[in-house]
Amino acid sequence: MGKYLLRRILQMIPVVLGTTLLVYALVFALPGDPVKAMFGDKPVNESVAAQIRAEYNLDKPFLVQYLLFLKNAFTLDFGNTFSGQPVIDEISRAFPVTIKLALMAFCFEAIFGCVFGVISGLKKGKWYDSVILIVSLLLISVPTFVTGFLGQYFLGVKWSILPVTAGSNPGFFDLLMPAMVLGSVSMAYIIRLARSEVSSNVSLDYVRTARAKGMSNRSVIFRHILRNSMIPVVTYLGQDLGALMGGAMITEQIFNIHGIGFLTYQSILKGEANMVVSVVTLLTLVFVVCNLLVDMLYAALDPRIRYA
Amino acid sequence: MTDINTTLPGQERYVAPLEETPLQTVDTVDESAPATSMWSDAWRTLRRNPLFIISAILIVFIIFVALFPGVFTKTDPNYCTLDDSLEPARPGHPFGFDMQGCDVYARVIYGTRTSLSVGILSTLIVVAVGTLIGAIAGFCGGWIDAVLSRIVDIFMAIPMLLGAIVVLQMFRTVTSIWKVVLVLALFGWVSTARIARGAVLSSKNLEFNTASTALGSTPMRNLFRHILPNSLAPIIVIATTSLGSYIVSEATLSFLGIGLPSTTVSWGGDISNAQSILRTDPMVLFYPSVALAVTVLAFIMMGDAVKDALDPKSRTA
Amino acid sequence: MSEQTNIDDKLDQLQRAEGPLLEVKDLQVDFTTDDGRAVHAVRDSSFSVYPGQWVAIVGESGSGKSTSAMACLGLLPGTGKVVGGSIKLNGTEISHYTQKEFVNVRGSKMGLVPQDPMSNLNPVWRIGTQVKEALVANNMDVSHEKRSDLAKALANADIEIKSEGDETFLGSKELPELLEAAEQALVGIGVEGDAFTKKMGYFRSEWVPGSETRWRVADDLIKAGVKDDDAWYIAKKYVTGSSMEDRIAGLLDEAGLPDAATRARQYPHEFSGGMRQRALIAIGLACRPELLIADEPTSALDVTVQKKILDHLQDLTDSLGTAVLFITHDLGLAAERAQHIVVMYKGQVVESGPSLEVLQHPQHPYTKRLVAAAPSLASQRIVSVEEHGQDASAIMEHKVNEQSLETADTIIEVSHLTREFKLPRTKDMFKAVDDVSFKVKRGTTLAIVGESGSGKSTVSNMVLKLLEPTSGTVTYNGSDIAQFKGKSLLDFRRHVQPVFQNPYGSLDPMYSIFRSIEEPLRIHKIGDKKSRAARVRELLDLVELPESVMRRYPNELSGGQRQRIAIARAMALNPDVIVCDEAVSALDVLVQDQVLHLLNDLQAKNGLSYLFITHDLAVVRQIADDVVVMQHGKLVEHGTTDEVFLHPQQQYTRDLLDAIPGGKLELGLNLD
Repeated sequence: MGKYLLRRILQMIPVVLGTTLLVYALVFALPGDPVKAMFGDKPVNESVAAQIRAEYNLDKPFLVQYLLFLKNAFTLDFGNTFSGQPVIDEISRAFPVTIKLALMAFCFEAIFGCVFGVISGLKKGKWYDSVILIVSLLLISVPTFVTGFLGQYFLGVKWSILPVTAGSNPGFFDLLMPAMVLGSVSMAYIIRLARSEVSSNVSLDYVRTARAKGMSNRSVIFRHILRNSMIPVVTYLGQDLGALMGGAMITEQIFNIHGIGFLTYQSILKGEANMVVSVVTLLTLVFVVCNLLVDMLYAALDPRIRYA
Repeated sequence: MTDINTTLPGQERYVAPLEETPLQTVDTVDESAPATSMWSDAWRTLRRNPLFIISAILIVFIIFVALFPGVFTKTDPNYCTLDDSLEPARPGHPFGFDMQGCDVYARVIYGTRTSLSVGILSTLIVVAVGTLIGAIAGFCGGWIDAVLSRIVDIFMAIPMLLGAIVVLQMFRTVTSIWKVVLVLALFGWVSTARIARGAVLSSKNLEFNTASTALGSTPMRNLFRHILPNSLAPIIVIATTSLGSYIVSEATLSFLGIGLPSTTVSWGGDISNAQSILRTDPMVLFYPSVALAVTVLAFIMMGDAVKDALDPKSRTA
Repeated sequence: MSEQTNIDDKLDQLQRAEGPLLEVKDLQVDFTTDDGRAVHAVRDSSFSVYPGQWVAIVGESGSGKSTSAMACLGLLPGTGKVVGGSIKLNGTEISHYTQKEFVNVRGSKMGLVPQDPMSNLNPVWRIGTQVKEALVANNMDVSHEKRSDLAKALANADIEIKSEGDETFLGSKELPELLEAAEQALVGIGVEGDAFTKKMGYFRSEWVPGSETRWRVADDLIKAGVKDDDAWYIAKKYVTGSSMEDRIAGLLDEAGLPDAATRARQYPHEFSGGMRQRALIAIGLACRPELLIADEPTSALDVTVQKKILDHLQDLTDSLGTAVLFITHDLGLAAERAQHIVVMYKGQVVESGPSLEVLQHPQHPYTKRLVAAAPSLASQRIVSVEEHGQDASAIMEHKVNEQSLETADTIIEVSHLTREFKLPRTKDMFKAVDDVSFKVKRGTTLAIVGESGSGKSTVSNMVLKLLEPTSGTVTYNGSDIAQFKGKSLLDFRRHVQPVFQNPYGSLDPMYSIFRSIEEPLRIHKIGDKKSRAARVRELLDLVELPESVMRRYPNELSGGQRQRIAIARAMALNPDVIVCDEAVSALDVLVQDQVLHLLNDLQAKNGLSYLFITHDLAVVRQIADDVVVMQHGKLVEHGTTDEVFLHPQQQYTRDLLDAIPGGKLELGLNLD
């Protein structure tokens, strides 16, 4: 187990380096002047542009820029925004909100996804299986922003069950609808995954052997069918936790939640390349760490991996 | 032991009358059934799947709308007068007007072409690039595989939407739909590459490749004649499903205002424009949303149906 | 001997008095296809199993043998349903039972030992946990043995069981004290020296916690010379019941798993196939069912392991008084193990009766065919004919070609062939093939026999130049194949062709049969379109398949048919040598027989040389002139087929020969 973990962590390092390099390159080395892009449609103020270039080491060779960025990133120094505030301050203000939202969405999709998926997989062909299947298909097809608007319109405006927008310092209740919207697509995927896993595991040989032992249907389902079906579901969930933070951008935009996604989007509009790189780097790190956690969980769930 | 007296009741010697189970020749070929290849088998399964029929009809219809929007509306989607701003439906304009006074119906019809072309073009590029890289990684193995797999890992670690936003904000002035297509392809090829690699790896180790080699075939010939054709099924499945998700991504990017330029008629852009009037005129937002959802649904259902047909083990229905 | 007869009589009386344990009458099982059609998997089948009896159901794949057995357990797969007839367990009708009612009989009254040890254990639970599940599910008392009436009655002949407590298990906690007490008792009666060591060694190996009972401990002590009262005193004092862990280890030990307590804490992937099968046997017998359904329990295992496990299972079920319904495709195996045989064909019982009678005088044409084709029986037949001092060659399908072996030139020569593989994540090298040398003479067949891991397939891959040897050489017609490159390699490929084991894997599923057979012709650029088509027709005719097969795809053909296509493909280039790597192992007996005949005919007609790789020594007799026996990468024995079968030199070869099922059978000679 220890060896396995060590191997995974070692494999993680090139991925983190590669990913940050890629993001940095995308922002600062693509054809087109990033500083010009910062000004957007406005006329370029040359003196300001030169100042920015100097501040971000853009006058130095690309690899040096990147290494300087990495060095600073290690000390959590991501530079300042246009308005002079440290980037890290803004990020640390927005991060907790997004984490709260992502965790709520995560719980929502995990609980409902597994419950409906398992029911569907065990009772394949029944009417409620069909209903669950159709609903999950619909959820996958409808983009998050449309789901968001539908939620806002029906739950918020028409029936006034939940608040329409969340604002800058949202509580549990404010985030309920955004979390459901954010988790809906993944929930649909989990339903489908759990369903196909469960329904294919039902007819496996060792399940039959378990029944032949005289075990009750209930314990066969819990000990043999569910336990094994959950392995890929847990893998998906873990990878999704990282993706949820990135995907929160649309949801935060729609519900006016001042989290990481909102911050990123505003920075993009304002052309704060520095902020964008920092946030994307951080999110990528979160994603990679989540993957590592998944690997550990995976090893805990599946003994075959542990000793591999 | 053979003494008949020791035989227990019910276990006496029994021989079935021959006419009951007439003896058949060992291992004869059933010549009555029609010859079916894997593909024709899959096609037969597909035809019987209602999911396939519904999605096929939808997709044919959507493609038709995209190719010949003029058949469905004579109104120019870009002809907008503020006089018509938020006017309700009237004859000739069944969905009413948006804030700029553009005909919603015409914009929904013309938006089809944008969404579909972005979806199809991205998918084509992704399949070509992903299959190539995945196949090379799986076929060559060794350090080539290791390097390519790490590159795939790196791209996998960047959420598609974030990556696309980072790149697109550089090219806000470019108006061609190709920028969205290329960006989607840039972050989309990895999943296809992974699947192609897996498919190539598993068909590479099948015995018929060894058999071919022993017959005198070269590795390259094996790759093109045996391995790739046998890896196609999963690639086709992911291509169909991804097409739908690229359409969603395009709409999302346009919705965020950094996808297609506002001059291009697109569902995502129209939905974005309509969000400010959600409380008063939800229908302006509703129509492009439905069009978008139905299109994506059609492709995802198609993906499911194709998957069922090509991989009987993972039947979803 | 008289004691044995005594027990047999007693058993017979008991069986007659109690009536059948399982009685299946006119059973009908249907499966529903996707389009709603009913497929009759089992029709009007009847058979019965008496307490303590082994009954075998024999048939090829798709004959309905497994389906019948699963119907008894209520575990029919998919859409399977019992639509007619009756299944009685101890006189109670169970065919209409709901799944809930079945839960009460499964495990405790009927156990299952399934076919494939690889897929029948859940990979995520420890072996011990999976044994425990069976005990817990049936509320088994883990500190006392549950003995069937039958076993009790039989045991009575041995020793008087005094009270219920006598069936208490030994616990691991008390074991050291018990051994100490036994030591003292032995000293007390004056046992010393070698006799003492021997007796204590015997106690140590026999007294397994969770398996050994009080009365058996007492019995052992008494037999060692300890006085009755003392022995019982020690047994009562120290044998006071076992814990769950002890019982699990005890069960695994009974199933023949060494070091059971440690093994119980391991996961299935740490077990070999044979060990997993032993664990499954422990699970099947954990709750002391009256009937054990063994569905091809050893067909996935090596022959020697198969024999060991079946011997063990037989001892175990005999001592427990468990009846066994034994499902197998091997007639020889069935006859060797069971008293009563039921032969199934196309979903129906075509013949049933006492094993030897069915085997010696098969009546139904299908049974006759089966008896004639079974390789294990064929070799047995040869042995028994020779024992009767008659000429066996008349009934041999393949006569050793002594003349060719002596005079013909060598076509393939393997000398000092060695192949090492690097073990994953270590620096150790593993010798898969270690210094193997042999010659294949033109027009003859050399068989390489060995169990899994013997390196036989590695040898075949090196002969085919699909794998480079670490050292040693393979020569073809006198030239070293390592030197072959480009054109000369293509030429070598043209003359040395393979037929692989898996009839489902060796043909590209995307290729029509025509394209598959045509492929070698295309690769070697032989003929034009028209002549190639003609050649494909010719080849199909050669392997006795109709021309219409050309347009079909592999998925439409049976395993045997695919294997014949693979042979046709190999024959396309008129090769000199065909390497058959387990080419008939995956096939049903009759189909196997057919393919072997085909190979023999092709050899006679075209003067082919075969290198025939197999794990099944029985098949060798039907095809080979020369035999090489391999074990752990090394060549163990090399001789002509007759020599190896009649005068095996090595113990391992003798073990392999012994493991051919049907070895203890007295076969009749009149097969008409």
